Amino acid sequence: MRGDTYDPVRTLYRTLLVFAAVGILILGVGLFEFLYFEPPGQTTGATAHIVGVYQFDPVTQKTLGPDKRTFARNQQFAAVVDWSSVPNNVTVDARWYDSFQVVVAQVGPGTPAQLANKTVVPVAVPAGLKYNLPGQYIFVIERMSGGVPVEVLARRIVLVVRT
Amino acid sequence: MSAVSPPGAANPRPRARPARYGVALVVAVVVVLVLIASSILDFVYVDTIPGRASLYGLLAVALVALGTYIGVRAFDRDAAQRRRHLIRASVLLGLALLLWLLMSDVFVFTESAGPWVASACALACLPTTAFGLFVVRRLDRNEKEPWRLVLVAAAWGAIVATSMVIWGESLWDAFAVRTLVPGLGLDASTAFSAGVLEELAKGVAVLLLFLVMRNEFDDVVDGIVYGAAVGLGFNFMESIAYMTNLYAVFAPEGSGTLAAGFQWYARQVLGLFFGHATYTALIGAGIGVARQLPNPRQKVIAIISGFVIAIAAHFSWDAWLAFFPIESSVFGLVEVHLRTLIMTGPFTFAVIALLVSGLRYEGQALVGQFRNEVREGTGAILPHEIAILTSPWQRLRQRMHALGRGGLVAYVSLASLQTAQLDLAMERWHRERQEIETPLEAEDALRRRIIALRQSAAL
Repeated sequence: MRGDTYDPVRTLYRTLLVFAAVGILILGVGLFEFLYFEPPGQTTGATAHIVGVYQFDPVTQKTLGPDKRTFARNQQFAAVVDWSSVPNNVTVDARWYDSFQVVVAQVGPGTPAQLANKTVVPVAVPAGLKYNLPGQYIFVIERMSGGVPVEVLARRIVLVVRT
Repeated sequence: MSAVSPPGAANPRPRARPARYGVALVVAVVVVLVLIASSILDFVYVDTIPGRASLYGLLAVALVALGTYIGVRAFDRDAAQRRRHLIRASVLLGLALLLWLLMSDVFVFTESAGPWVASACALACLPTTAFGLFVVRRLDRNEKEPWRLVLVAAAWGAIVATSMVIWGESLWDAFAVRTLVPGLGLDASTAFSAGVLEELAKGVAVLLLFLVMRNEFDDVVDGIVYGAAVGLGFNFMESIAYMTNLYAVFAPEGSGTLAAGFQWYARQVLGLFFGHATYTALIGAGIGVARQLPNPRQKVIAIISGFVIAIAAHFSWDAWLAFFPIESSVFGLVEVHLRTLIMTGPFTFAVIALLVSGLRYEGQALVGQFRNEVREGTGAILPHEIAILTSPWQRLRQRMHALGRGGLVAYVSLASLQTAQLDLAMERWHRERQEIETPLEAEDALRRRIIALRQSAAL
């Protein structure tokens, strides 16, 4: 069954190679996507200062209590940003991501001067829900370039516990 | 030795163990080292529920590995001591199961939704997964894989692969969320993590079967069957994890059961064959093609190709799911199905194409070997049996006829005869292709067994 005779295993092998080529193409597109949203060499050295993450009263629109890393699902919370810590010549925004990596609150984009009166960034409960989702919430202050966030200037992770 | 005494297998191993056992040993040692290292690192640095689970689950994983090895060995070569080996394997697997359930209940499922919800989710997933395994095993219409290996494959997917993945992904996730810009880049990173780690963890099972159980790993069809079985096992455990987690998330909102039920439908009905089963079947297809390639370089390329396609298929689902948003309306139900069909359908179609080609080729080869055997006049295959042996429906009809005529004993005798005849044809096929490393005497022993079985089946 070797030599010049037709061997169907070779056909299967070639088919597999074609599929593998498609697979490499897909992974290549994935790598391109990753590099587009995580472009290398974007570190400017700039940093931002997150004052803290506090319990938030939606009625008074004010934070209360100490800086915390853990919240209950029924607690509202907000990050407080010191925009003066960010260089004025950069465009930035601040976002909260919930445990499903969905943006649940956002301020900006704009220059630190434009965002100066938006120091409190409260988390919004997802539409249709009564409570925050449990899990890890990420708050980031991002430097924008071409409408795309390219560098994280500051980051805080808080945990929303189930009970 | 009586004429009825069967050989240990259709093609028993030669005395000198081939090099692939050394490769299998290295792979197994690497797997164990990865499990130990990542679990300890995870426990030390991540200190979350998976972190604790990783450390406490190590013993269960070790017991599963040992029990599986002894169980497979019992069937594979030590027929005289089979019972003793099987008891040992059962005890070890039972202990491992208890440990695993204890660990997973306490630290993973119970923590999120409680033991009753976890049990309900597991019970809901059992029949669908069993159905999946039944269908997958029946795909090999010419020579079905033994249940013990199909179940071992599924158990690896459910227990060993998920354990490896929990640890690896926890570490990757912990690193990524602290260093990357959240958004599509982080999504892509997570998708790479899932694609690479999960497919490697699942694929190792198929690779080990290929290296160690060569008697039961004939071609691309077998690879697809084993791969899909591993994927179904993985999907089983992942479904339980997602169902319990989402139940816990949405129960306070009053929609916990609905969320868990949707996950069950998406993963155990709609995605039963489309998701993990498809991905790991692609790995199995690569390894199955490698099984029949003569050139070592091509073998390696085929195996890598299977992994690449599987990783790409998995990656594309995880990374680009967000590009197919689902509306919260009735049309959303249609969209869910369309999304699965569009995103995973092409890969499932690729598996089906390889499977159909493999089955056709395997069928043609077996017919040729049946004819050759008849021509040689050994008496192992009779001329009128060729048409029956090449058709699963005719084989079943003949067995049912035997059942009606002589009861269960007659059915089992005939089934053994048919299996042995198919084994013989498969053995001849591999020998003709020079894919076998066993002595020719094994074939003669098999012929003697077939003749004895035919006499006992009174045909």
